[in-house]
Amino acid sequence: MSVLSFLDREHSVAKPGYSRWLVPPAALAIHLSIGQAYAFSVFKIPMTTLLGITAPAPVDWKQGTIAHLFQVAIAFLGISAAVFGAWLDRVGPRRAMFTSALCFSGGFIVAALGVALHQFWIVVLGYGVLGGVGLGLGYISPVSTLIKWFPDRPGMATGLAIMGFGGGAMIASPLSVALMAHFKSPMSMGVAQTFLALGVIYFLFMMFGVFTVRVPAPGWAPAGYQPKASANALITSANVEVNTAIKTPQFWLLWIMLCVNVTAGIGIIEQASPMIQEMFSGRVMAAAAAGFVGLLSLLNMIGRFFWSSTSDVIGRKATYATFFTLGPLCYFLIPITGAIGSVPLFVLCCGIILTMYGGGFATIPAFLRDLFGTMQVGAIHGRLLTAWSVAGIVGPMLVNTIRQSQIDHGVPKAQAYGATMHIMAVLLLVGLVCDFLVRPVATKYHFAVGSARDAAGVPSGAAT
Amino acid sequence: MSAPNVAPSADIPRDPLTVIKLLLAWSIVGVPLAWGVWQVFQKSLALFR
Repeated sequence: MSVLSFLDREHSVAKPGYSRWLVPPAALAIHLSIGQAYAFSVFKIPMTTLLGITAPAPVDWKQGTIAHLFQVAIAFLGISAAVFGAWLDRVGPRRAMFTSALCFSGGFIVAALGVALHQFWIVVLGYGVLGGVGLGLGYISPVSTLIKWFPDRPGMATGLAIMGFGGGAMIASPLSVALMAHFKSPMSMGVAQTFLALGVIYFLFMMFGVFTVRVPAPGWAPAGYQPKASANALITSANVEVNTAIKTPQFWLLWIMLCVNVTAGIGIIEQASPMIQEMFSGRVMAAAAAGFVGLLSLLNMIGRFFWSSTSDVIGRKATYATFFTLGPLCYFLIPITGAIGSVPLFVLCCGIILTMYGGGFATIPAFLRDLFGTMQVGAIHGRLLTAWSVAGIVGPMLVNTIRQSQIDHGVPKAQAYGATMHIMAVLLLVGLVCDFLVRPVATKYHFAVGSARDAAGVPSGAAT
Repeated sequence: MSAPNVAPSADIPRDPLTVIKLLLAWSIVGVPLAWGVWQVFQKSLALFR
C-alpha cells in the first residue's frame, strides 16, 4: 500500500459518527491560507529595496514589475481551476487539497530562493506559477465536498469556505509585516526568510484541512433531510457533465454575471484609497483612507457569508437580481456623494458594493449546483472561474484607462471617477439581463446513467 | 440511487469526543481569523476618527 494512499477518495469516506460540521473548518483552513494572495501588496515596498536595503538600488526590482506577480498568480488560479477541475472531482478533496498545499507552500519556498538569489524569474515561477496552481486547486477543492455535505444549505456551506478566501488577507497582512520586522537586519529586508516561514506555516495549516476533510458515504443525507419537490424550477435533481455544461447557455450567462460582478467590484477595490482622498480632499487623510480599505476588506468577507446564506432562503436568481439592481444604484450614487460631500453615504455605497462583490463569488457554486447538479460541480466551478481571471485583467485596465482619459480631457481628479462609476453600473445592468435569461438546463444536456460516457467512467461523485 | 442513509452524521453531536473535535477544529481556524479581523477592525477605526 502506498504511503499516500490515505489521500485516496475511498480512504476519506466519513465513518459513522463523523460530524459534517468538521468539513467547514477543513475548507476554511485551505481558503484562509490561499487568501494570502490578496495581501501580497505588503511585500511590494520591501521587495523594491532587497539590495539597497535603506533605499532602492539601481538593480533593485521596480514596484510595477513586482505587481505582475499577483497577476500571474491569479491567471494561474483560473487556468489550473479550469484544467484540473475534472481531475479534482475524480480523485476527491483530500488529494486535491494536499496537492494544493504542496504547490502553494512550495511556491513560497521557491520564491524565497528567488528573493535570496535576486532572480525575478524564480520568484515568478514560485509564487506566480506554482503558487497560482495551488490557489486554483485549493479554491475549488473543498467546494463540491461542502455542497454534498450540506444539500439543505449549500449556499451557507460554500459561503463559509469562500469567506475564508476574503479573510485570509486579514491574517496574512499583519502576519507578514510582523515576520518581516522579525527577520529584518542591516543586511536583509527579511523577505526571503518570511517567504520561507510562510511556506512552512501554510503547509502545516493546510494539512489540518487535508486530515480533517471527509466525503460523505454514498447515499448519505442529513438526518431528516427530504429533497424538496422542486418549488424552484431552477433546482435540478439531474446532473450535467462538465464538458456538456460549457455548451449550455446557462453556463455562459453565469460566466458573464460573475465577470461583470467582479469587474464592478474591482472598480472600487482598485481605487478605494485614492478615490476617497481625492473625492473628499482635505477631509480624508492617508490613515483614514487605509482604514477605509480595511473596512472594505471586512465587508467583502462578511458579504461572502451573508449573501450566500441569504441565497438559500430567497434563491440564487433573486440574490443576483439584488446585486444587479442595488449595485447600479450605489454606483450612480457614488459621484453624488462626492458632490454633496457626504463621507458616510460614500462609505455606505462602497460597503454595499463590496459585500455584493464577495457575495457574487460565494453564491456562484450553489447556483451551479442548482443548475447542473452535484456530479461535477467542482469541475464546472473551475471552468467558470476563468471569468475571474478575465475580470482580474480587464477590470483594472478598464478602470485606469477611463480615469486617465477623463483626466487627459481636463476633468478634475475628484470628478474623474464619475464616468467609471456609470460604466460599472451599466455593466451590472448587463448582468441583470443575463440573470433574467437564466432558465432551467434543458433535459437534453442531462447526464444519462448508463450512457457511453458513464461506461467510460466519467462521473466520479455521482453516488453522493 | 440508494435510500438516504441518515446514520453517519447528525447536526448535534452526542458523544463528547466529537464535541471536543468540533471545538478544536473551529478554534484552529477561528482564532487566527478573529485575530486578523481584529487587526483590520482596529485599522479601520481611523476612518471614523
